[in-house]
Parts: sequence; structure tokens; C-alpha cells
Amino acid sequence: MVVEHELLTFLEWLLPSQYGMGALLTFFLVVAILSVLFVILAYIFTSARHGPFEAFYVVAKSIATGVSDLVNTSPRRILAMARLAIMEAVRRKVLIAFVVFLAILLFAGWFLDAQSEHPARLYISFVLTATNYLVLLLALFLAAFSLPNDIKNRTIYTVVTKPVRATEIMLGRVIGFATVATALLAMMCVVSYVFVVRGLSHEHEVVAESVQDKRNAQGDVEGFTGETSLNSHHRHTFEVDAEGVGQTDVQMGHWHQVTTTKGPDGQSVYTLGDPQGQLLARVPIYARGPFPLRFLGRDGRPGDGISVGDEWTYRDYIEGASGARAIWTFQDVTENRFPDGLPIEMTIGIFRTHKGNIERVVRGELEVVNPETGFRSEPISFRPVEFEIFHLDVPRNVRVVDPATQLSRDGDVFEDLVAEDGRLEIWLRCAEPGQYYGVSRPDMYLLAAERSFFMNFVKGYVGIWLQMLVVVCFGVTFSTFLSGAVAMMATLATIILGYFSQFVVGVATRTIEGGGPIESFYRLVTQKNVSIDLEPGIGVKVMQWVDIGLMYLMQAAVAIVPSYGRFGTARYVAYGFNIDPNLLTQHAATCLAYVVAVTVAGYFFLKSREIAG
Amino acid sequence: MEAAAVEKSTPTAAAASAVGADVVIETRNLSKTYHDFWGRPKVLALKALDLEVRQGEIFGLLGPNGSGKSTTIKLLLGLLFPTKGQAYVFGKEATNVKNKERIGYLPEESYLYKFLNAEETLDFYGRLFDMPAQVRRDRIKSLIDMVGLQWAKRRQLREYSKGMTRRIGLAQALINDPDLLLLDEPTSGLDPIGTREMKDLILRLRDEGKTILVCSHLLPDIQDVCDRIAILHQGELKELGRVSDLLRVEKVTQIRARGLSDEAKEEIRAVIARHGGEVDGIENPTATLEQLFLEIVQDSEARPGRRAAGASDGKK
Ligand SMILES: Nc1ncnc2c1ncn2[C@@H]1O[C@H](COP(=O)(O)OP(=O)(O)O)[C@@H](O)[C@H]1O
Ligand SMILES: [Mg+2]
Repeated sequence: MVVEHELLTFLEWLLPSQYGMGALLTFFLVVAILSVLFVILAYIFTSARHGPFEAFYVVAKSIATGVSDLVNTSPRRILAMARLAIMEAVRRKVLIAFVVFLAILLFAGWFLDAQSEHPARLYISFVLTATNYLVLLLALFLAAFSLPNDIKNRTIYTVVTKPVRATEIMLGRVIGFATVATALLAMMCVVSYVFVVRGLSHEHEVVAESVQDKRNAQGDVEGFTGETSLNSHHRHTFEVDAEGVGQTDVQMGHWHQVTTTKGPDGQSVYTLGDPQGQLLARVPIYARGPFPLRFLGRDGRPGDGISVGDEWTYRDYIEGASGARAIWTFQDVTENRFPDGLPIEMTIGIFRTHKGNIERVVRGELEVVNPETGFRSEPISFRPVEFEIFHLDVPRNVRVVDPATQLSRDGDVFEDLVAEDGRLEIWLRCAEPGQYYGVSRPDMYLLAAERSFFMNFVKGYVGIWLQMLVVVCFGVTFSTFLSGAVAMMATLATIILGYFSQFVVGVATRTIEGGGPIESFYRLVTQKNVSIDLEPGIGVKVMQWVDIGLMYLMQAAVAIVPSYGRFGTARYVAYGFNIDPNLLTQHAATCLAYVVAVTVAGYFFLKSREIAG
Repeated sequence: MEAAAVEKSTPTAAAASAVGADVVIETRNLSKTYHDFWGRPKVLALKALDLEVRQGEIFGLLGPNGSGKSTTIKLLLGLLFPTKGQAYVFGKEATNVKNKERIGYLPEESYLYKFLNAEETLDFYGRLFDMPAQVRRDRIKSLIDMVGLQWAKRRQLREYSKGMTRRIGLAQALINDPDLLLLDEPTSGLDPIGTREMKDLILRLRDEGKTILVCSHLLPDIQDVCDRIAILHQGELKELGRVSDLLRVEKVTQIRARGLSDEAKEEIRAVIARHGGEVDGIENPTATLEQLFLEIVQDSEARPGRRAAGASDGKK
């Protein structure tokens, strides 16, 4: 699944709203807290050197200098430093990273060619993930070693004895390395795109013997069916109408257009087009509002969905052939947005209580309901494939049922089924007794549009770009006061912490068993399983106290480290969902916040550092 | 140049004399202790240095290796923070960024980016002074001409010899036409011609009104050019004053003459004896090796290809 939590619009996210205090306020709050901590620490360190009175003056003065340095920062100097950083990167042969990338793709071409349900997802997530790691690694190396090298070679002496501000040294490096990484990323993006499109493209031929007439109830020929050849580990069946136009079934996430021409001897020649439906950028409209998804129990009364165990915990289940319903409420459904009716797409998990043909489809029904008047469409039945996105068009002209009379008449979706305020409900029912449908909020959406896949692919790379920028900032900042290798390790630690933030929070909040770091280590050494209680004693107590302290620290660290995992939007691209501009702008703003905060911190570290010491 | 015994004079006498607006560098009780990784004091590199360098003078900082000369310069540039005391340059604290616009610094070794060529190097440092493109271009050209690297300006610095690196280092120190020059061992790694040129350049820059602080362990370099010197030893100031005052040997009188016969020399001895003086020696002076070298090179440039035989005849 792609969307775990409701996506706010950029402004809802940024400013205080019903959803919380907003990112901007949070940012200032965090920055304020950290700055105070920072100043206190700086004061303590300075008093150790200069005594408490002098320290007060020193700290105040360095803050004042910081402001004046910022004001006097010159673009020309920043660019000069950036140019130098670029030349340095080129001299350190960063282009090798690109060669490595090409080599990875070359090998990937072999093992990605295996049998897979969804080759497109595999290809796309592979290239995006490979690029992601490679570029972050590159950013890490570039950023962490540059300044320490300059300090080691003392080339920094000739730089800082010019009227160069620490801001310019920081920004120059960040901009320079970001430029290099951007150029590489752009090249990788183009190459990956070609790799994905070429890797997924294939052709089928029609197996002539398989073609059969397709007759209607009266026995008239109304088209043909047939099979295609086996290519790229799969074959399709297809149907064409009497004119010879049709399409294949969906295999491995795609289908082909079929056209017919007449051969020289008058026989039909069927041709299949390029694979369709695997490189998409769908724009979904999800259920929103106070109760985006609610349930009716088996007795038809409001209730919760059923949980069927640990698996798929985020889905709730409704029982088949009962009063149980899953009800999504959509907002702002207007004629303008959907002039031709409602294009509905859904993914459904199926839980079978009795053994049977696992391949057998479990029928379902849905109704479109006006939440204000209670008018509903006649049930539309469908046959979902489990965990596959299933498309269903509700046309504008539908039969609607009047709740008062239970009589049906011809109606219009927007006139009869959408409330005045633009709300609309979709009720889902499982039609087979003894089976369950599992659904979650984002499982059902209205398909508002399809956008360019290429642009979405590029947006996926923008997500990587943002991560790269943050890594460069962290790397440069750490390298202002640590040696190259240590700065690299520290930056790597933030990346790892950022990627596994969920896990670390889990450990810290004790939702993951086995205790904190020391207890885990103790268990590891003594080979005690996480479920065994440790014998109470003073040693164990001390260990657990220290662990609690450590875990608070870890939680604090996780809270301020960027969660790189969130920036990664590869899933959207791979699953064929358009990356919402709101999401991208939120990520960009978060990233900017980190860039600013981390760079400012780096400035003060560099400024307070004794360059020749 | 004769070696002469240096008379003791009190360091404070000269230092206390001039106080005013024309003081470019001032240090008060300036001390530096280097600490090791654990913060324990390791080296006492500079002890309570009080110094004033005035506008328009060449000030020499003299001392054996490890006496704290470079440490002093780094403190004046804000590359190091003083452990105790203060360092003021142009009346502001040494760490002040604005100061750097008026300072040129030649480090003891040229710490330059090896992957840049001479032009790129100067261009880079020019940009750091926020110099407009045209000014930068003109300045780069004249500086490369001045340090005599026209022929190698497109070569990466990694291919430069020590002396060439020194020259480009000097050019980079002058890129901003500084008011104050801090030169750390400016003649190290230079051949005698380069040394001579460097000394001439230092004098010329002084005549242009710049203030220059030179530090060196090569005594002849300092003696030639400096107006005032300070002698450091193990981080302590041992001597401070005008070179001419410090080197004047009050009790010795030197007479130079040409075309004297042996009888005449005997007569002079007699005159000195009559006045109660004591003759240290009457002899023909020897040229310094430096003079000899310079003559040979000049001669060979004038008549290339020939072994310069005439120089060994002892022209002086
Ligand atoms: N970064 C440093 N760390 C520790 N000791 C240093 C450092 N730099 C210089 N020193 C020590 O300080 C003393 C003075 O050094 P320096 O100022 O470089 O001497 P000079 O330039 O006169 O030769 C020497 O004993 C030297 O070993
Ligand atoms: Mg030195």
C-alpha cells in the first residue's frame, strides 16, 4: 500500500490548523529549544576556558558576529568556494560513481529479468533505491572529507586569512557538492528512465491456432479470442470485437492493445501494441473528513471492522453476505472534476475462512450513496483480484433507489448521489458467505487524473535530491569539528538513525521487546531470549535505568534527525501513483529547514574552531 | 657584511617609545600554549609577548626553529586563539574578518590547492576579496609578471618546484594590495636570486607605504631589510629594537680604504697605537658567497654558454 496516513495540503501542514500546530511553529520551537541548549553548552565550555564573566561576553559576541557575518555574506565568495568544491570533487574522480551506477544497471538487467508479478514495480523501485543509496554515499564521502582535508593540508590557512566568512565556507561547500551530486543524479535519472522503459518493453505475437470465434447467445460471431506467444515469462489472452479491435488481459501488471489488419491472402493478422498500464502516475482522491472510513457490523449497525490477526493489521475486515459494510466518505466530488462519471479504483485484501479454490474470485458489490438524502445507486457488482488495483467506472447515468419508497428510477450521479456540500459515500459489501474483505482508508479512491509517468519519475528523483542535500549539510557540518573519517561515521549514523527512526522510537517507547541497548547486548551475550524475564537484582535495575536514559537520548536524537525514509517517494513511483505536489512541497520545506538549521550549527562550529590548533 | 657582537639593550626601552594611531600590530601579554588531545598543556610556544609594529616599517621576527615565530603570526591572523593576552591588528581583534581585507599572508610553506594552476589560484583568491572580474584579471597578470611565473602560469601547482610555489604564494599574498604583509620565512626555498628579489620586493613594498612583518631564522635576510627586529627564543622575547642600533658596535671603529701600500698600513697601526687604540686586524675583506653567486649568474646571463671563469679571480 502506498499511503499510510492522510496527506494534508501544504498550508494545513505548514500553519497551525485543526490537525496540529503546524510545521513552521514546530520548527521554530525545536530550533528555539536547540539554540538555548546550544548557547548553554557553549557558555559552559567557554567558562571552562575563560571563566564565567569573560565567557558571557565571548558567547554574546560570537552571536553578534554571526549576525553580521550573515549580512556581509557575499555571493561572489560563495560561488568561488563552490567552484573550488566542484573542481575538488571532479579531481577526486566522482564520475566513477556514475560508472559504478552503469555497472550496477548492467548486472541488474540480468537478475531483474526474472519471473515477477509486477516487473514494473521491481524495475522502478530497484533503480530508485540503487540511485538513492549511491547518491547518499557519494554525498557522504564528498562532504565529510573535504574540510578536514583542507585543514590537514593547511590549504585552509590561505582561505580563512582572506575576508571569508565561515558562512561562505559552509555554503560554498554545500552548494558545490550539491551541484556535483545534482549533475550525477540528473544523469542517473535519464539513464534509469531509459533502463526502465527499455527493460519493460516487449512484444508478443498471436498464436494463430489459438484464435477462436466468440459468439453471443444467439450464436452470431461477435468477435475473436486468442492467446499470445510467451515472451518475457508471460502470455496474454485477448478479445477483439467484430472490427478486430480489442485488448489483452492484464498479466504482470500490464496489457496490450490489439489491432487487426488483413493479410495478403485475406486472413486476419493480429498485432499487439506496446505494454500499457504499467508506467502510470495516477492522481487519487482519497476519502477525507472526520470519518473517512467507517464500518457497519454484520447486523448492519455501526461498528468496527474485524481484525483477523497480526497479518495486514492496518486492514479491517467485513464479513461476506451479511450486513457488514465498509463506507468511505469522499469530499468535494464535483461535476467539474469527474465530467464522465466516477472512475473508482480499489485494492482489496481477501481472507478466506474455508478452503476452496484459492484462485476463485470473491464477488463484491458497491453502492454510491448520497449521505444527505439517503438516495443510493443500485448495487454494482464486481470481481476483484486480490491485492491488485481494480478499476471500475460508475457512469453518470445510473439507476438510483429512493430510500423512502425503495423504488428505483433513472438518475444522475451528481444530481442524485452527491450531497449539496459535495460529499459522497461508497458502500462496499462482500457478496460471498464465509469470506471476508479487508480494507483500509486508502484502498478505495476516485481516480482524478493520470499524469505523465516521466514527470513522476523525475519527482521520485527530486525526493532523492532532497535527501542528498540534507546529507551534504550534515556531512559538511560534522566535518567542521571532526576529522574526515569520524565526520563520515557521524553522518552515516544520522542516515541510519533517520532510516530506522520507526524502529528506534519503538525501542525507546518499549513497544519493541527486549529492552534498551545495554539490556539487548546483555541478552545477546547471555543468550537470553527476549521473552525470558531477567532475574531481578541491583545489577539488572541499574542496567535498565541506564537503558532508560540512553533511550531518552536516542529518542531525542531521532526527533531531530531527518527521517530519510519519509523523503523516499520511490513507492509512489513504483506503484504508479502521482506524487502529490503537497507532499513534495512538504518534503522540500522540511529539507530546507534542516539545511538552514544544520548549516547555521556548522557555521558556529567552524567559527569557534581554532583552525591551526 | 661583518659579523658583529650584539650589544645588550633592554627590550622594553624601544617598545615603550612610540604609542599612537600609527600602530598597526599590537600584542599585549600574548601567550600561547598548545594542548594535546586530552586538553593537557603540551608546549608553551609563546610567553607574554608585548610587541608593537608601526605603520610603514619592516619588522623582523627572528629566532631559531621552534621559537614561536609562526605561532605569533598565526595568532595575529586569528588562525590560533591566544591562551592569554590580546592581539590587535589595525586596532581590532585579530579574529576580525574585516581586517583580512587589508592583510596579505605568506605562510611558511605555500598551502595552496595543487589541482589549480597559477592563474586559477590567483583568480580564486581574488574572488575571495570580492574583486570584480576586470580588476582581478589585471591584477593577476601584473602579479604573475612580478613573480616571474609567466612561463608556467598554466601549469598545475603540483608540478611546481619549491621556489616556484613560494613565488606563487607571494603573489597570492599580494592579490589584494594589502596594507599589512605577514611573511613567514619568505626566503625559504628560494635561490639566491629569488632571495635578493624577495628582499628588494620587501623594500619596495615598504616604500609604497606598506607595513611588513617578516619572520625568519636566516639572519642575513633580516639584517638587510628590517627596520626593527625582535628576537624570540623558546617563546620569549629576548631583544627588541632598531637594527642599526642593535648592530652598532660602539667600541669598534671600522675604516675602509683602497690602494694602500704596506708601509701606509704600518703607519696607520702606529697612529692607532699612539692614540691608545688596539688593532683587531688589518686585512683584505672577502666577498660573501652570496655576492659571488650573484656575480656568476649575472655574468652567465650576459654571456650564455661560457663557463664563468672571471668570477674566481676575486674582483673585489
Ligand atoms: N599545532 C601545534 N601543536 C603543538 N605544538 C605546536 C604546534 N605548532 C607549533 N608547535 C610548537 O610550538 C613551538 C613554536 O613553534 P613555531 O611557532 O612553529 O616555531 P617557529 O615558527 O619559530 O619555528 C614549537 O615547539 C612547536 O613544536
Ligand atoms: Mg615557523
